[in-house]
Amino acid sequence: MHPQDLRYHKEHTWVRVSGKKGTIGITDYAQDALGDIVYIDLPEVDAAVEANTEVSEIESTKSTSSVISPVSGRVLEVNEELSETPEIINEDPYERGWIAVIELENPSEVDDLLDASEYGKLVDEESK
Amino acid sequence: MRLAILGAGPGGYVAAIRAAQLGAQVTIIEQDEVGGTCLNWGCIPTKTLKASADALATVKGLGDYGIELHGNIVPDLSRMIDRKNKVVSTLVKGIKGLFTSWGIVVKNGRGTLQAPGEISVVLKDGSTEIVTADSIIIATGSRPSDIPTLPFDGKHVISSTEALEIRDIPGSLLVVGAGVIGCEFACIFRELGSEVTIVEALPHAVATEDGEISLILEKELKKKKIKLITGKTVEKIGIQEDGVHALLSDGKEVVAEKVLVSIGRTLNTDGIGIEKLGILTGTRGEILVNERMQTNVTGVYAIGDVTGRMLLAHKASAEGIVAAKNIMGIPCSMDYQVIPAAIFTSPEIASVGLREEQAEDQGITFRKGLFPFRALGKAHAMGEITGIVKILSDASTDRIIGAHIIGTHAADLIHEAAVAMKAGLKARDLAEMIHAHPTLSEALMEAAEDVNGEAIHLPKK
Repeated sequence: MHPQDLRYHKEHTWVRVSGKKGTIGITDYAQDALGDIVYIDLPEVDAAVEANTEVSEIESTKSTSSVISPVSGRVLEVNEELSETPEIINEDPYERGWIAVIELENPSEVDDLLDASEYGKLVDEESK
Repeated sequence: MRLAILGAGPGGYVAAIRAAQLGAQVTIIEQDEVGGTCLNWGCIPTKTLKASADALATVKGLGDYGIELHGNIVPDLSRMIDRKNKVVSTLVKGIKGLFTSWGIVVKNGRGTLQAPGEISVVLKDGSTEIVTADSIIIATGSRPSDIPTLPFDGKHVISSTEALEIRDIPGSLLVVGAGVIGCEFACIFRELGSEVTIVEALPHAVATEDGEISLILEKELKKKKIKLITGKTVEKIGIQEDGVHALLSDGKEVVAEKVLVSIGRTLNTDGIGIEKLGILTGTRGEILVNERMQTNVTGVYAIGDVTGRMLLAHKASAEGIVAAKNIMGIPCSMDYQVIPAAIFTSPEIASVGLREEQAEDQGITFRKGLFPFRALGKAHAMGEITGIVKILSDASTDRIIGAHIIGTHAADLIHEAAVAMKAGLKARDLAEMIHAHPTLSEALMEAAEDVNGEAIHLPKK
């Protein structure tokens, strides 16, 4: 259920690495816990992002939550589609619901992240 | 007792009526229109325009409520201004009617203090009349401040006063100053369709509010696509064919059809003769008064904006009542502890009492309760889930020391907290007071419960 090609942060975000770029988003588990997403505060293009810190904020009908970046770097691109239709994150968190593309400052950071099976265990633990 | 009042704004007119109720013979001198800034160029006209902007927002969002609308939605600012003028004139007439019923004499002209019991009034026809009185109240208020780099020209560079007379929606608007007035106008014009940029010298919008609340407002401004530039000033402006070019302190340029300067207000203490009487003023030119609203000159009182402190209509009115009672031989003092304040942005902001930073500065150990509207059934039913209620209570006594709200109807909701503070209630009292369901007021109950970690509709922390 958790895509194999992604790496996961324990704060329920993912990164898809392609060369020196990493696309980030929130996991299916996260979107489900948040409920209907009504707004996402997208980062600015060119902004510096630090791993383990807030890169964006998501508001759902239930709560307001920080999106914790799994990686460090500079924002190359943001998913503008989300500013009008943030519910895409609920519908398709791993593809159309991507949040931003980051130019990876330290690609080795990715090695510290969880793989799909490790993340699956974390989620199982949390949903107990 | 003959009482003369200089200025018929929310300070002066309230003082006039209360003094007349207590038996005074009152003459009130006003160079513009009764009701002052509040009624003519401030609170009431802005809220009237906001009602139009809110109506527009409701109509634009009808789809969310399951209502389909066929046809175009066209905001007509000219008709909104007509409506505003009608509301203002109805209320002005209302005050004039109250004056007549209490036998209060209005002199329409510019008054200048001549002696402790004497005011000369230059009437509209150019003639001068001397008004004598046993006591005088100065209630001349304030006006929008301008800065040398941004002088008002009434067309391109305007103050809040002129912004209430614009009949065409500007394509773009630069608001200088993200205080109360700047943010209120930014929200109104954005709703009407203007591209709005706000430039603020301080690090945050509405910087005098609770920090958490000002961050939520900033996010709401962003959602509306209002561009907020903080920590920058406007250095220079130039008027060109395509609009006003404003050069910011970081070297960037903002071009807008109009510039609204809302950097604060200047007290109207100049040219009214206070020097002649030797009335003492403070560093900002504010008239110094004691808690009974007396100046250093016997028989001369001052109330409202000219005394400094918060520039709030209801504070001026309260001071007016205190002055009137003291003049009529009923000793009383002004209590500044519980003065609610509201900002009519979308969403609204309201506060009473201390902010967290103030409580810290005063060395008060406090507990904090916080409740988001999105955890409330009524807010969901209404489709208004943005915002929070925050309640602060003294850690040792549990007495409520402050409340801060951002969200729909915040300005009305704050009064429950204000009454609680006035009565010296504890957070637990508010939490144990049964609130009707489903209402927005339940957010105050839940925030009060959260002070002791007992909010029912919040997850375990």
